Amino acid sequence: MDRRTTIKSIIVVAYVGLSSFSFYKWIALNSAIDIQSLDQKKSLIAELGEVIIPRTDTPGAKDAKVEEYTIRMIKYCTERISQHNFLNGLNDLEVYVQKNYKRDFAACTEKEKIAVLQHFEDKSVFKVKVLNKINNKFFGIPFFVRLKQLTTEGYCISELGATKGLAYDYIPHMYQPCIPLTKDQKSWATK
Amino acid sequence: MYIAGNSKVDSSFDAIVIGSGISGGWAAMELCKKGMKTLLLERGRDVKHIVDYKTANLNPWDFEFGPNFTTKHIQQNPMISQNTSPGDQDFFASDVDHPYHAEKPFSWLRGYQVGGRSLTWGRQCYRWSDLDFEANLKDKIAVDWPIRYQHIAPWYDYVEQFIGVSGKAENLSQLPDGKFLPPMQLNCIENHLAESILKGDQHRLLTIARVANLTKGWDSRGPCQNRNLCSRGCPFGGYFSSNSSTIPAAFQTGNLTLRPYSIVAELLYDEHHDKAKGVRVIDTLTNESFEYFAKVVFVNASTIPTAGILLNSKSHRFPDGFGNDSGEVGHNLMDHHSSAGAYGEYDGFQDQYYKGRRPCGFLIPRYRNLKPQPELGFLRGYNIQGDGERAEWEDRQNEPGFGADFKKRLTTPGKWSIWMAGWGECLPYHENKVSLHASKVDKWGLPQMDIDFSFKENEAKMMEDIMKTSAEMLSAAGFNNVSSFNYHKPGGSTVHEMGTARMGRDPKTSVVNGNNQMHAAKNVFITDGSCMTSSACQNPSLTYMALTARACEFAAREMKAGNI
Repeated sequence: MDRRTTIKSIIVVAYVGLSSFSFYKWIALNSAIDIQSLDQKKSLIAELGEVIIPRTDTPGAKDAKVEEYTIRMIKYCTERISQHNFLNGLNDLEVYVQKNYKRDFAACTEKEKIAVLQHFEDKSVFKVKVLNKINNKFFGIPFFVRLKQLTTEGYCISELGATKGLAYDYIPHMYQPCIPLTKDQKSWATK
Repeated sequence: MYIAGNSKVDSSFDAIVIGSGISGGWAAMELCKKGMKTLLLERGRDVKHIVDYKTANLNPWDFEFGPNFTTKHIQQNPMISQNTSPGDQDFFASDVDHPYHAEKPFSWLRGYQVGGRSLTWGRQCYRWSDLDFEANLKDKIAVDWPIRYQHIAPWYDYVEQFIGVSGKAENLSQLPDGKFLPPMQLNCIENHLAESILKGDQHRLLTIARVANLTKGWDSRGPCQNRNLCSRGCPFGGYFSSNSSTIPAAFQTGNLTLRPYSIVAELLYDEHHDKAKGVRVIDTLTNESFEYFAKVVFVNASTIPTAGILLNSKSHRFPDGFGNDSGEVGHNLMDHHSSAGAYGEYDGFQDQYYKGRRPCGFLIPRYRNLKPQPELGFLRGYNIQGDGERAEWEDRQNEPGFGADFKKRLTTPGKWSIWMAGWGECLPYHENKVSLHASKVDKWGLPQMDIDFSFKENEAKMMEDIMKTSAEMLSAAGFNNVSSFNYHKPGGSTVHEMGTARMGRDPKTSVVNGNNQMHAAKNVFITDGSCMTSSACQNPSLTYMALTARACEFAAREMKAGNI
C-alpha cells in the first residue's frame, strides 16, 4: 500500500467511524437474529423487487418469484451482520413509508414507490467507491445494496428472467465472434 | 477391470501408476498399449465419463443458491469456496476432509477423483522452447535441464495429435507451433487489440489461445459446443481429460486395472535389487492396508503428494525418503503467478456482438527477455492471457438506479472491455518447499503436507512490468478507463505446482534423470509436475503429457533390454 492510499484509508475510516459507528450498533449487528421472521416480509420483498425490475415487455421480478430467491439467500448465504441490516432495513422502510405516506408500501402509487427506493438508495451508497468497501467490511452490506444485488441476480438466473428478460443460449454449438447487434438485442444470460 | 476392497486379484502387475490425473492417465494408457498389465491407483472416487458429470446439463436456475455457496459452507471451506463454484465443487477436495498446513498463505486445489484435475484444468496447451530449457544453465540458477526442445518435440507432436489442440501457427521461436486443429476465433474487440499490437513492438502479437477444446470431431469426441461449462465435465467430450480419453483407451487394451479409493502411503523398497518392489495402499473406505507389486512404478500423484509419498517412504537405504539422496525431494516448489494485469473499456463497436461462449481467451506470447534485457530488473518472462467481451448483467447490476430504465440497461449489452493478466515464470527457490508435518496427520494417519512457499523479488518486479506493459497496450489501442491491477493471490492459486522431484543430470542435485527415471531406483519414474526443473511461463500440462509418453517409451525399452 503506498502512502497516498494509506492516508486515504485513514481519512475514510475516520469518516465512516464518525458518521455511523457506535459500539452499541456493532454489538447489535452481531447479536443473534430471528431470521425466520423474514418469511412474514415476503410480499413486501416482492413489491420492492418489482420496483427494481418491473414487468415491461418482458417479465418482472414478481413474475420470476425473485422474492423467494432473495429470502433464501438472506437466510443461508448472508453474513449475520448483513442479515441484521436487511431486516432492520425492511423495518425502517415500513416506518418511513407510514410516516411519509400514511399507508403500506404496496398501497403506494408507482411514483411514491420510486421516491421511497430513491431515498433508500441514496442513503446506502457512498459516492466514493472505496467508502462502500470499507463500510461493507465493518458494518456489512447495506440493506438497499443487498436487496438490489439479490433482486437482479435472482431475476437474471431465474428461468423466466434468463429466457425472456435476457437471451439464454443453452447449447450454442458454434462461436460466432462478430455478429451485428439485432434490434432489441438482449444480452446473453450466461458468460 | 475395477477392483475395490479385499478382492482376490493377483497383487502383482507389470506396472503400477499412482494417480489418474492428466499425467497418470497418459502413463496408464501408454503402458497398457505396450502390453503391460497395469494397475492404476486413484485416492478418490471413480468419475465415469459423461455419466458422472452430475451438474453438466444444469441451468442457472437449477442451483438452489445460484452461483453462491452458503455461509456455512464458506466457513468450513474458506480456501476451496473461493476457488470453485457450485457447478464444479464436486471435483475439488474439501478443506474439511483434506487439511494441510501452510507456513504462508497457499491455495492448494486438489482433485481427488479418477481423472484428478484433468476434469477442471484450463486446457491451455503451449509448447516450451529452448529459451526455457536453456534458461537455468544460462542464468546459473538451480540445475540445468537434462533435455532440450529436440528431445521433447516429437512427443509434443504425438500428444497433440492424440488429445486434439485447437490453435493458430504463428512461427515464433519462443512458442513453437504444434499440430493444431482449426483455431477458435477472436471477437472484434480482440481483433482490434491484435491489430494495434502488431503496429507496436515487433516482438509482440496477439493470437487465439491454444486449447484442448475440439473445433472438430476428434477421436470419437466433440466437437466443443461452446457452452463454456468445461469444469463440470463435458457430456460432449469437447475437451481432453483422462476420463474422456486416456483411461477409456487404456481400458480398451484389456490391460488396465483401476483401483479408486486407494491412497498410496509409501513405495516399498527392494534392498536386494536397489529398486521399488511395489506400493502400500490404504483403502479409504475400509482403512485396510494392501500391498501391490510391479516391475515398474510411475509416480503421478501430482507435485505435492508425489513429494509426500517419497518422503513418507523410509527405509534403511533411504532414511530421508525414497530416492532422496540429493535432499531435493520436496524442494524447489514453483507455481506461476497470474495476479497482475490490466483492464480497459472501449467505446466503439457498439453495433457488434457475439454468439456462443468460447471456452478460452487470447494469448500474447512472451515478449520479455527473449534476448537478455538486464534493464528490466528481472529474469525470464510472462505471457498475457485475457479476453474481450461486452458488459452483461453481472457487470451492470451495480449501475445506479432501478426501474424500467435500469432493467433495460441490465438486460442489454453494455461497453466492450478487455481484461488481461500476465502468467509469469516463478524461479525455483530451494527454500520454497513441501515437507511432512511433524505432528499433524490426516484421517488415515498419514502426515499432513506442510507447504512453505512465497513469490520473491524477481516475481514482484515482473508483476510490476506486467501491469505497466498490459496497461500500455490497452491505452495504445484506444481503450479508456484503463486500470492495472495486482490481486496478490497467494501461491498455488494458478494451480501449476511444479518442481518437488526435479529432473537433472547429477544424482547429487536432482531426483530423476533426463528420462524421468529415478537416479537411485531405476524402475521408478516421476512424470507429473514435480519433475520440472524450472517453470517457464507456459501452462505446463502439455509438457507433463509429452514427458510422460516419452518416459513410458523409455521404460518399455529398458524392460525389454532387461535393464529394469
